[in-house]
Amino acid sequence: MNLSFIAYCFINIIFAALVSPFFMGIVKKVKALAQGRMGPPLMQQYYNLLKLFRKEALYSTDSSWVTRVAPYVNITVIATAALCVPLVFIPEAAYGISNVIVFLYLLATARFFMALSGLDAGSAFGGMGSSREMSISSVIEPVTIVVFAALAFIFNTLNLHEMFRESAGQVHLFDPSLVLISIPLFIVLIVETARIPVDNPETHLELTMIHEAMMIEYSGRDLALMDLSHAMKQTLLMAVLINIIFPWGIATEMGVAGIISAAAGFLLKGAALSAFIGLFESSLAKMRFFLVPNLIMIAFFLSALAILLEVFR
Amino acid sequence: MLTVLFYIGLLLLFFGAVAPAIFFRGGKNQRRLSLALMAISASLLFVFASDVIYENQEVSMTVYRILPSFYFSFFIDRLSAFFILTISVVSFGVAIYSTQYIEYHKNDIRNNILVFLMGLFILSMLLVVSSANTFSFLFFWETMSLTSFLLVMFAYENEETRKAGIFYFIMTQLSGVFLFTGFFMLYLSSGSFDISAASIDPAIMAPVFLCLFLGFSIKAGVVPFHKWLPYAHPASPSNISALMSGVMIKVAVYGLMRFVIFVLEPQLWWGVLILVAGTLSAILGIIYAMKEHDIKRLLAFSSIENIGIIMIGFGLYIIFSLNNLEDLAMLSLLGALFHTLNHAIFKSLLFLTAGSVVNATGIRNIEYMGGLIHRMPKTALLFFIGAASISALPPLNGFVGELLIFQSMMQSHYLTDTLMQVLVIICLAVFALTSALAAACFVKAFGTVFLALPRSQKVEKANEVGMHMLLGPSVLAASCIFLGLSATWLFSKAGYYPQIPDMGVLGAIMAAAFLAIFGIVWVVSSHRTRDVETWRCGIRRGDGWFEYTATGFSQPIMNIFRSVYRTREDYRRTFFDRSSVIFRDGRAEIHLLNFFEVYIYLPIAGFISRVAMVMYRLHNGKLDTYLYYTFITIIILLVSMRWLA
Amino acid sequence: MMAAGLIDGWVEALLALVLVTGAFIVSRRDLHSLVFAYTIQSLFLVFIALLLYLAHPSEVLLSIALLTLSSKVLLIPYTIKRIQKQIKISRDVEFHYISPTGSLFVTILLFLFVYYSFSGVIGGLFTADKISYTGAVFGVSLMLMGMLVTFSRKKVITKIIGYLTMENGVLLFGLFLTELPLIIEVLIIIDLIIMVLLVTILAAGMDSTMEEFHNRLHIFRRED
Repeated sequence: MNLSFIAYCFINIIFAALVSPFFMGIVKKVKALAQGRMGPPLMQQYYNLLKLFRKEALYSTDSSWVTRVAPYVNITVIATAALCVPLVFIPEAAYGISNVIVFLYLLATARFFMALSGLDAGSAFGGMGSSREMSISSVIEPVTIVVFAALAFIFNTLNLHEMFRESAGQVHLFDPSLVLISIPLFIVLIVETARIPVDNPETHLELTMIHEAMMIEYSGRDLALMDLSHAMKQTLLMAVLINIIFPWGIATEMGVAGIISAAAGFLLKGAALSAFIGLFESSLAKMRFFLVPNLIMIAFFLSALAILLEVFR
Repeated sequence: MLTVLFYIGLLLLFFGAVAPAIFFRGGKNQRRLSLALMAISASLLFVFASDVIYENQEVSMTVYRILPSFYFSFFIDRLSAFFILTISVVSFGVAIYSTQYIEYHKNDIRNNILVFLMGLFILSMLLVVSSANTFSFLFFWETMSLTSFLLVMFAYENEETRKAGIFYFIMTQLSGVFLFTGFFMLYLSSGSFDISAASIDPAIMAPVFLCLFLGFSIKAGVVPFHKWLPYAHPASPSNISALMSGVMIKVAVYGLMRFVIFVLEPQLWWGVLILVAGTLSAILGIIYAMKEHDIKRLLAFSSIENIGIIMIGFGLYIIFSLNNLEDLAMLSLLGALFHTLNHAIFKSLLFLTAGSVVNATGIRNIEYMGGLIHRMPKTALLFFIGAASISALPPLNGFVGELLIFQSMMQSHYLTDTLMQVLVIICLAVFALTSALAAACFVKAFGTVFLALPRSQKVEKANEVGMHMLLGPSVLAASCIFLGLSATWLFSKAGYYPQIPDMGVLGAIMAAAFLAIFGIVWVVSSHRTRDVETWRCGIRRGDGWFEYTATGFSQPIMNIFRSVYRTREDYRRTFFDRSSVIFRDGRAEIHLLNFFEVYIYLPIAGFISRVAMVMYRLHNGKLDTYLYYTFITIIILLVSMRWLA
Repeated sequence: MMAAGLIDGWVEALLALVLVTGAFIVSRRDLHSLVFAYTIQSLFLVFIALLLYLAHPSEVLLSIALLTLSSKVLLIPYTIKRIQKQIKISRDVEFHYISPTGSLFVTILLFLFVYYSFSGVIGGLFTADKISYTGAVFGVSLMLMGMLVTFSRKKVITKIIGYLTMENGVLLFGLFLTELPLIIEVLIIIDLIIMVLLVTILAAGMDSTMEEFHNRLHIFRRED
């Protein structure tokens, strides 16, 4: 392992962990403003995490090691997945870890553990969450894969780093086929991060119970880890979207000045995208659960068209 | 020198198998010795096979000549050695596990027969994959079918087992018939029984392929020939299910690979056929597994899915290699083979641990399980590793196999034919769905069997199984982890350098990240914990039925894919008044139709039994009638001989 | 002036988006979003015509864009909205023969099928003028999707939206393949027909489904 790669590991993971709650805060703030409320301060997410880390953790007597291990595994795999998606600079070699499939399956691992932890305590809510999460994630998977396959077709590589490098070197603004792909990618982002037409992150109502329901038994540091990993997952998916349609500013080699400007740029772009997500959520109503496959089907239609256009090129 | 290992291994296996048949009144210790011999022979064969694979050498031998053209001869190259390796790993684990498992039955004679048949079964599988001519291939193939049939019938007192056994027997004989036809056509064309690329008439290539494809896919359980799997697996003892699902269906995969790659000249449509059949089995297998509540049937359906994945890889291999894309072809074949090994390991692991659970609780329905993680913690951990591996979680081995196939599919833009590209993309989407559903299915399996509270008395009283029943699966679980982490290294040792992530590095990064995060959290956060009760909406100590059951868990997916399940809903309602307004009582039923059974198997079975009825009338039991039949037959033969000559 | 390759790229992207709006029309239940999708679809068609104008300047393309904008983006959606207010139907929940998700699946297959069958008929065009070929394929697929709507929906108003989608498909096909002045005349005629149909709905109260309308007609007759 060379030094640049190790530096990349640290910078990328820590940066992702640091900015994620901020983006969460922006989404919340925008939604609150759209509803005519003041909303929590932008830094509220950080305070929440700090508070949770200091509180005690409650464990159900019916739960097992699955509940105790899941938060750590979750954050670990999301942190590893963070290596696939460079936020500020793209390292030269990454031992092939930046593979698309690795990225997707690391996210799947997090989901697997979260779903099991939902079932662990024997509460009906957690089970409902896991069941729905696994169902939704199963039907979104073909979309995700086809979208990434379309990207692989366009960039002619399966390596996310190389994709981003190539897209950062692109000359003209907005390649049409990439814009086309960005729409299903955005839907994937919405579905994977449990946002409004699919799930409502604000409530613990039975009807919207997907993501929140799985974590209903968590408290203290475990909840903090779960929340942080969820926020990081959102940041990573956002970063994929950003790096593909608006990659300018990302550093393609290591260097202090480049990294700082890239970090600032990413913060801005991420904030803009989070604000957009907030607006998107505010403008829609929650879908009935069994209508979600319909939405996903439309996303699949789009991604299939995108890839077919590539095939027929 | 290493060939000696092969002989010694086979001999030990043979002795291990035969001893209990000769001393059939022998007790527990004798069986232990037999099984130990099997384990030792498995490890010898393992060494032999890995040597053949890594040194890339070929071994051939003629053993026994019955007639000038009928003889047993063996030839072992890398492909055979790979399957020998697969068989040996699985049978090692199964042999250790069986030492305790079979003692659950107290009947000495039957246990001895079980050990005998099991040894013979393993031996015949080994000899099938090392056969050098179609004669010995078919001979050991039939031995394998016969012993496995007898093993399925082990609990023959049970009505359902008998049904399953007969069904299995019919299917397996059907497969044998197709293989025989294919081999015979090969023999007619090439004039020898050798499995080699002899000059074969191109005109018979396609029919031979179709016969062999049918024969092997019946045995492998490819949709729509899969129906015997979900019957035979739950009926047989768990160690046998592990062997059948882990390796026997892989032997069929071996046959297909051997004949398509080495004997016949593949055409593009073969690849397409195999790819489409594989995709169909993968998706239907896992969708059916999702609805299944019998743990062993669930695993059986999941085997159908995984066979589908292997077929996808193999179909891609044919398509890519005919398009001269050597790298991609290698990638997909490697994926198919690696998945074969992986599936053999984790599926037998899952079957063995499921067997432990079934033995400890006495039930197979996962609706009534739950909470076993507290009662059988070690079994739970082993099952968990299997479940995580089959769900393709990195860095375990299941992931690597699927990664290879995914990678080759995602590079299909190198194909020149657009239609072929579209086909591969469709299969890619379906494969992604399959893989995600597999994760959902095993969350369901692990969650409802092991987590939360028990849902029946029997489960509450379950105890952890004994040492050997943990040791056997542990070996398999350890190989799951090892194969995952060292996959890249193993490939490079064997001389393949696919463009895949370095799994060792990935594992190291994950481990480092885990430790670092654990350390940071340990330092930063509070350490206080408190035990509380799960919130059950105010009911203080709910019983297990309060939690999500298997039916509940799979309901959303059942609803989304209801057109696949072919459900039929019956409502019978009675009313007090004539205009059907005031409801008296009613009954609602949701039936899951067995699509393949109702629309394919039963019509064929009905036709056959009608034909059989006609035949039955011809047999009136009088000697004169039979003499009369013989006379007519001879006349017909004479006439046709004249006509043919 | 944009590069020709980029224009082609954008036309392709827009074509795909047109098809997605078609998919929306096939699968959505509430009339509001159906009309919205139709409007957007027509707007995309306008953009496509304009982009084509950029590539090959000709007044006909410009006038097609103008005509589409005025009739399909503004006039027809407006009329439909007025009708909606009167007949108070906000959703069409029932589907004939095929479920919404299934119909989306069918549309993907339709697209592939059209592509495949066209590659046999006008395959030569593929190498000569790729974008026209793609446009033609998309046009016919959109037409078929419209047809799907006309038979899979029950309410007359949705059927009309299906019919409009079909017409958009024809327009798309025409934009890329036929003699241009001809389409304009066809367009005007079809638009007129649709307006007449819409007015009929308003006037005769043919508001829900065909069957109900027939029943009502019978009632009228009996009263006579």
